Amino acid sequence: MERSIVVVAEHFQGEITPITYELAAFARQLQQLLAAPVKILILGDPVREVAQDLAEKTGREVVGIQAPGLRSYTCEAYKKLLGDFLPKISPSYVCVPHTSTGWDYAPALAVRLGAACITAVEGVVRLNEGIAFTRSFFNGKITAVMTSKVQTTVLTLQPGKIRPLEPGSARPGPITIHSVESPSQLSRFIERKQRREQSSSLTEAEVIVSAGKGLRKKENVSLVSRLADLFSRSAVGGSRSACDLGWIEHRQQVGTTGVTVTPKLYVACGISGAFQHLVGMSGSGFIVAINTDPNAPIFNVADVCIVDDLTAFIPAFIEAYERRLMAS
Amino acid sequence: MKILVCVKAVPDPESLITVNDHEKWVNADPSVPLRMNRFDEFALEEALLIKQAFSPTVIDVITVGSAESEPVLVRSMGMGADHGIRIACERNGYMSPSVVAFLIAACTKGKGYDLIFTGIMAEDDLSGQVGPMIAEHLSMPHATSVVLEKTSPEKKSVYVEREMEGGQRDCLELPLPALLTIQSGINRPRYPSLSKMLRAKAQPLELIDAGRLERREPQEEVLRVGYPQKSRSRKVLQGSRQEKVARLLGILVERSFIKRA
Repeated sequence: MERSIVVVAEHFQGEITPITYELAAFARQLQQLLAAPVKILILGDPVREVAQDLAEKTGREVVGIQAPGLRSYTCEAYKKLLGDFLPKISPSYVCVPHTSTGWDYAPALAVRLGAACITAVEGVVRLNEGIAFTRSFFNGKITAVMTSKVQTTVLTLQPGKIRPLEPGSARPGPITIHSVESPSQLSRFIERKQRREQSSSLTEAEVIVSAGKGLRKKENVSLVSRLADLFSRSAVGGSRSACDLGWIEHRQQVGTTGVTVTPKLYVACGISGAFQHLVGMSGSGFIVAINTDPNAPIFNVADVCIVDDLTAFIPAFIEAYERRLMAS
Repeated sequence: MKILVCVKAVPDPESLITVNDHEKWVNADPSVPLRMNRFDEFALEEALLIKQAFSPTVIDVITVGSAESEPVLVRSMGMGADHGIRIACERNGYMSPSVVAFLIAACTKGKGYDLIFTGIMAEDDLSGQVGPMIAEHLSMPHATSVVLEKTSPEKKSVYVEREMEGGQRDCLELPLPALLTIQSGINRPRYPSLSKMLRAKAQPLELIDAGRLERREPQEEVLRVGYPQKSRSRKVLQGSRQEKVARLLGILVERSFIKRA
């Protein structure tokens, strides 16, 4: 059977999410190595309009699967519909976003298809051994090149790693719509709740001083706030762990599940640098990182690295700053 | 209620992890013992909260790995789990999530668990695959990234809220049995109690030899590993603390983040 690459589009009630265009770009890189056609699959109800939109923006062949009542993503419906459809075209690669929808169904879909599964993929490379995928291990301290040993592989692509396909220039791709029966489901989707509006001071700040687990205890948050106070237009942020521990308010969380920030200066205090955090702050103008672990992944995106205990370093810094003020 | 919590013993990600000689896998610092994957602590705590709310509830904890993983089972029982099960297999290098899921599913089939919990992912491989794969093998519904869970034993269902991007939440109801992968922050995992730890250490663990289960080959492999690329200048400040403080102050003044005196 002809080899092919399938992208499963992500959308919320007809609104295509940005990762879909990153997936389309990723599929193009894969296509250059594999020389196989790319199909974009989109599931929903109604699906025609959004399929048309995708075909226009990507210039790719789009297959819409119209399933009555499938207004929002549900794991069971995606598993069933993709599990029924994909064996008909037996693709080499099924590219899925590494998002809260993608990582929900992709591993189960792989089991259903008898396929290999590689999640949180960051890029594709060609090696002597064949086509391989890069991804992170150990919280980003190690990168690995992985490959599949079977005919079909389900991949989830980490957002923010591939420059998205620019929409528009190509001719719209062909569209086919398959109407299928609504899949029976055991679980019941109730609703998608929007974020309760809580403004975060992070979006306006020019300087962000962020705290991580390396702070070790809540009392040390004051160190970070005192450091932030030295700068004008500054705010205090936190990593997911610091927010989970209740040291920093959740609305001040930097990262994929929190706020994405691009201040002029970002000071990471005791943050190891999980990928989800790095995505949320690596666009900052200038990055200073303080951590006791010289191999912490945060240092890979930092301009200035300070290997030290922040509970000693920050007071010393504040003192030096104040001495400087007195002297002036 | 009968609950299974899947836990993993992982090298401390804050410890020294280096690429091995053949660039095939990593060496973890042998002086640092394996510890419980942080995300699994939240999964176990969620099970313990259900046990407190609905009596009688039994919690089994299962792991796949070598004897080095056993302290993690003991710790789980120290936190309040009832039984520890280890699927014994030697671990040399990358352990495929699909194989782990297959083994756990094989040992779980027919055991009558109402709920199966895992952490959202493991800190070492960051794959997030084992939970959904177990659910698929057992033909039960699942939900990942769970940040709120309300189990109703009478209705035989569980209401969950899943964390979506940008602070949104998907709300759904799953019939039992179901599998949930638990996101961090859903609760505050407790510390093991001394009395429970002492009891746990005396209690035998159930050992299952992976070799006696149906064999499953990994479908993916790690070709080689390395260190990540550095995306910025990565200037490491040298010298004593006072020297580093002075250097940083100098840099921040030079870049006008701090006003020149």
